[in-house]
Parts: sequence; structure tokens; C-alpha cells
Amino acid sequence: MPGTGLETLKVLIVEDNQHMRVLLRSLLGSAGMHDVQEAGDGSAALAELAIRRCDLILCDLAMKPMDGLALTREVRRSKKSANPFVPIIMISGYTEKRRVEAARDAGVTEFLAKPITAQSLYSRIAEIMERPRAFIRCDAYFGPDRRRKTVDGNYTGPWRRQDDMHDLEVR
Amino acid sequence: MAKTQIIPPDSYPQMAGKNDAVKMSRVLRSQEAIQRGADVIEEASHALREGVREHVRALETAIGDHQLTSEKAHEILGFAETAGLAATGRIADGLCRYFDEMEKLAAEPDMEVIALHVSAIARAAYAEDEAIRMGDMVAKELAILVHHKLAETKAALSD
Repeated sequence: MPGTGLETLKVLIVEDNQHMRVLLRSLLGSAGMHDVQEAGDGSAALAELAIRRCDLILCDLAMKPMDGLALTREVRRSKKSANPFVPIIMISGYTEKRRVEAARDAGVTEFLAKPITAQSLYSRIAEIMERPRAFIRCDAYFGPDRRRKTVDGNYTGPWRRQDDMHDLEVR
Repeated sequence: MAKTQIIPPDSYPQMAGKNDAVKMSRVLRSQEAIQRGADVIEEASHALREGVREHVRALETAIGDHQLTSEKAHEILGFAETAGLAATGRIADGLCRYFDEMEKLAAEPDMEVIALHVSAIARAAYAEDEAIRMGDMVAKELAILVHHKLAETKAALSD
């Protein structure tokens, strides 16, 4: 699909399963995203990110030696990170609530449960483009705003989450 | 404690400018792109099935090592259905849920439950047509077994 702009995007796939890497690359290519690099784990991804611009990371959760959570934290918080704001879509078969929360707290932009479909992958990418989220920087977190909706649109205080308030009270 | 800083989307680099983003997301959400993507998956399904079977062989040799068995089951869950092996994916999903729940309960998984799932995953991964429907039935039966076993474990832990 030339001329859509998708061909200009640089994507990094971080996945230890070769078959999934091939599938993801093919799905991206089918939508016009041909500028795709691959890495087999978080460490290889960091090496790739150090030498090449990246607009989007598709990342597995469970990998060795460096998993997707460690990679996300490194991308978001390391002083060496070339782009701490880069969108990260975590794609995983581990879908229990605690794993999804761990991914969110590491700073992923979206979480996509395996098995994937073309529609589920494309819609996550589209979602990031249509509704880019604010980033939050506080003592314990740097990453996309973890709240999807504003509960009280009038609130203008410094604390973004209930836990932050609790931390304040405890301290 | 530092004050929380909110960085709005227009003050950090985006994947694309606003107009381009609208254009790109329209393409990604189009039926044409989704159908082409589905065709890509269909074309890749034979190779993917071979990949699933590689992981099934690794799963069979991992029995006894709960960590490794769980990892392999999650790998299979991750792409069996995409490879067109829906029953394999559903049985793997049952095994993954069992491992995840037992880990949460800090309880030792039952070897019999694991062995039954692994054997059923292996059969379903090589099954064709009629046997695939059998695989669906086996997945349901195993889901009931997991439900009972988890209830038993929870009851034993609360005694």
C-alpha cells in the first residue's frame, strides 16, 4: 500500500519465537510497513535501538535472557534511551491480570493477547495513532498515562493515581 | 517526593503527524487491510502448524519441569489458533490457566493433570477433520477436570 505513510514507519519486533516474528513481519508488510527489524530478546532489541530510529516496538513478554518488561523499563527510564516515548505494544500469551498490570506498570502503551489476528494487531496500532496518550513522570513511574478515562474532569491536583495519594498519606 | 509531571501528547514525538496518523489509521482499520492480513495468516498457516508441532515436541520432553512445561504451553497457546489448530490452542489454554492458578495458590501442580493435557495437545496438534471435533470435546472435558482440581486444591489450602 504505497503512499499511505505506513511505509515510512520503522518498526522493531522483539520476539523469541521465530514463527511469530515471521508472522508479525508479514502482517506489518501486508499493511505497508516494510521497514521492520527483528530482535530475539530485550538485550538484542536495546542494541538495535542504540543504532537505529524506531517508531514502534512490538514486544513479547516472556523472553530470555531479557524479557519484555525489563526491555520496556529500560526504554522508558534509562538515560541511554534514544526515545523513551516510543510506543510499545506488548504481545503475550500470558494474560492473567497481574501480568497485564506488570506490563502497564513497566510502561507499555498497549497490551495485545495472543493468539493475535490481523484485525487485533492493526487496531492496536491505529489506536496509538488516533489517541496518543499523555506521559506521566513521577518518582515511581515514567510512561503512558495508565488511566484511560478521567473520573473527575475537574481534578487538577498533582497526584494521578489512588496509590499516589496513599503514598502521600503514609509518608 | 517530586511533583508528578504530565507530558501532553503534542509535546513529545509521535509516530506520525496528525493528518498522516488519521490517514494511516483509516488504512489499518479498512476491511481491505484486515482481509489482506487474514490472507497472510492463512498463507502462513502451514509453516505455523509445523512451528506449533516443534513446540509440542518440546512440551512433551519438558514434562517434570513445571516451569519449562508452563513456558512451552504458553508458547503453544500463543499461536496454535493462528495456525488453524484451534483445539490445540484451547487445550493449551486450559493447561496455562491451571499452571497460572496453581502458581497464584503457591501449590504444586498435579502431574496427572499435566500429563493428560500434554497428551491431548499432542494428539490435537496432529489431528485432521473428525479428530479436530474430538479435540474440542477433549478440551471441554479437560477444562472440567481443571475446574475440579483447582476447587480441590483451594479447599485443601483453606482447611
